[in-house]
Amino acid sequence: MRFLRRTAPILKDSLICDEVCGMLEYAHMADLVLETHNLTKEFIRRKGLSSPRNPLEKKVFTAVRDINLSVERGEIFGLLGPNGAGKTTLTKMLCTLILPSRGTAAVCGFNLAKQQGKVKSKIALISSEERTFYWRLTGRQNLDFFAALHGIPKKLAARRIVEVLEIVEMTDAADRRFQEYSTGMKQRMGLARGLLADPEIFFMDEPTKGLDPIATWHLHEFIRGTLAAAGKTVIVATHHLAEAEQICDRIGIMIAGEMLASGPVKELTGDASLADFFRNLVEQTMVERLDS
Amino acid sequence: MEVSYRFSFVLQFASIFFSVVMFYFVAKLLGEAPSVQKSLSEYGGNYFSFVLIGIAFSNFLSVGLGSFSTNIRSEQMLGTLEAMLVTPTRLSNIVLSSSQWSFAFTSLRVGVYLLIGGIFFGVSFSGAAIIPALLALVLTVVAFSSLGIISASFIMIFKRGDPIAFVLSTSSTLLGGVYYPISILPDWMQTVSYLFPITYSLRAIRLSLLQGAGFSEVGGDLLALIIFSLITLPISLACFRYAVRRAKRDGSLAHY
Repeated sequence: MRFLRRTAPILKDSLICDEVCGMLEYAHMADLVLETHNLTKEFIRRKGLSSPRNPLEKKVFTAVRDINLSVERGEIFGLLGPNGAGKTTLTKMLCTLILPSRGTAAVCGFNLAKQQGKVKSKIALISSEERTFYWRLTGRQNLDFFAALHGIPKKLAARRIVEVLEIVEMTDAADRRFQEYSTGMKQRMGLARGLLADPEIFFMDEPTKGLDPIATWHLHEFIRGTLAAAGKTVIVATHHLAEAEQICDRIGIMIAGEMLASGPVKELTGDASLADFFRNLVEQTMVERLDS
Repeated sequence: MEVSYRFSFVLQFASIFFSVVMFYFVAKLLGEAPSVQKSLSEYGGNYFSFVLIGIAFSNFLSVGLGSFSTNIRSEQMLGTLEAMLVTPTRLSNIVLSSSQWSFAFTSLRVGVYLLIGGIFFGVSFSGAAIIPALLALVLTVVAFSSLGIISASFIMIFKRGDPIAFVLSTSSTLLGGVYYPISILPDWMQTVSYLFPITYSLRAIRLSLLQGAGFSEVGGDLLALIIFSLITLPISLACFRYAVRRAKRDGSLAHY
């Protein structure tokens, strides 16, 4: 009951709370921080000059198709797939940056389509893209700015910035301009920014892209040792199979917008290696597509 | 961040000085002509003080029209927009806040224009009616900003080539009485000029600052600006909401 009392405020305004009856189900759902039902994204493009006879003709490209996903609190879930599989589109949809075409999703119990503000207060997006910071500002000034966007009061923000800088071991470099940082330091500042508002879910899109092996090892340690230990949920989109195998509790393999397999690595692959399993799945899917 | 580009910061103030000096000499050339005196009689007959206020306050037109779209495009190009949009702060708040600096800096620039005019070139503001002028200024910012938000909506969807800012900026400068009074324009152009808020803004601010005109004299202009803002502000916010939704649907929020 103590657990239910603790989680009840989180679910008070939630879609799940609206739609599910019964305390047992309520308690069970409280452990799910992410749930999607047939989440689909179709991009509609006009053919334009490639079809001079009918330039207004529409072409529909399905980037993500019917994704059904459940992720529990504290889980590290890997989204695997080749380039163009739809990992980034799915991640951006779950971060409210792209509107789904069909389907529903709940993030920490909040409806992705209707409660975007509340969803955003529960998540952090950490991408490999370095240009998400102001390069002429110092690391601390950047964090100060993003803390304000998170609505963190000034005094609390100053304290929180000191804490997160310590966590990512960037205290000494905090007052240097962002443009002077190495790739690894920039990535650590990305983590620091993600930690600012103490979110429930960390979405990481290709987090180790461009990092050297030592920095990669540090990041993996951070994900497993710090985030997972603190009960945070991490969704990692990657095409590095070894990375997924090493840090993820469960993985989902996406190919051409569809989630073709999901589960714990060992359960999925059996005696085969993840690389072999992945290659077979990709080849099998391509053959089936060509046949049909 | 803007202040970190120190040379550019200083250069902007230097450009104000040169612009004022240039118009001082143009005014000297035209100043004594009877036709100029007659056209400007409403504002006291001095071309330099007339044009000083015109060029100073038309800065608000440029900032109101351009700052929202420029800031969005700049964040898209820098790559920071997406990181901002994952925070709980609404995009409309982000856009409005990011323009605060532009408006504050423009106010400073306008102050410098007036100071240079007053100190070095003898423009007198001793009889100025400050309250009506400030009210006119606030309404000017609201009116120009609502047009700027419509312009930002275009940028959100089409990324470049915003027709709103181009058409309004050139038409307002041509017809709104920045460099010359609208009374010298042909009748049909004068009629068209009343469709632009800058016409009312500049008239109200000039009369208040140069002639000490009170609410009874500039009330009509202020009312026109209020009506303009009441019509365009809801339209601009609706346009912006639509543009954000469409960009999220197309997945192009951070594209440029």
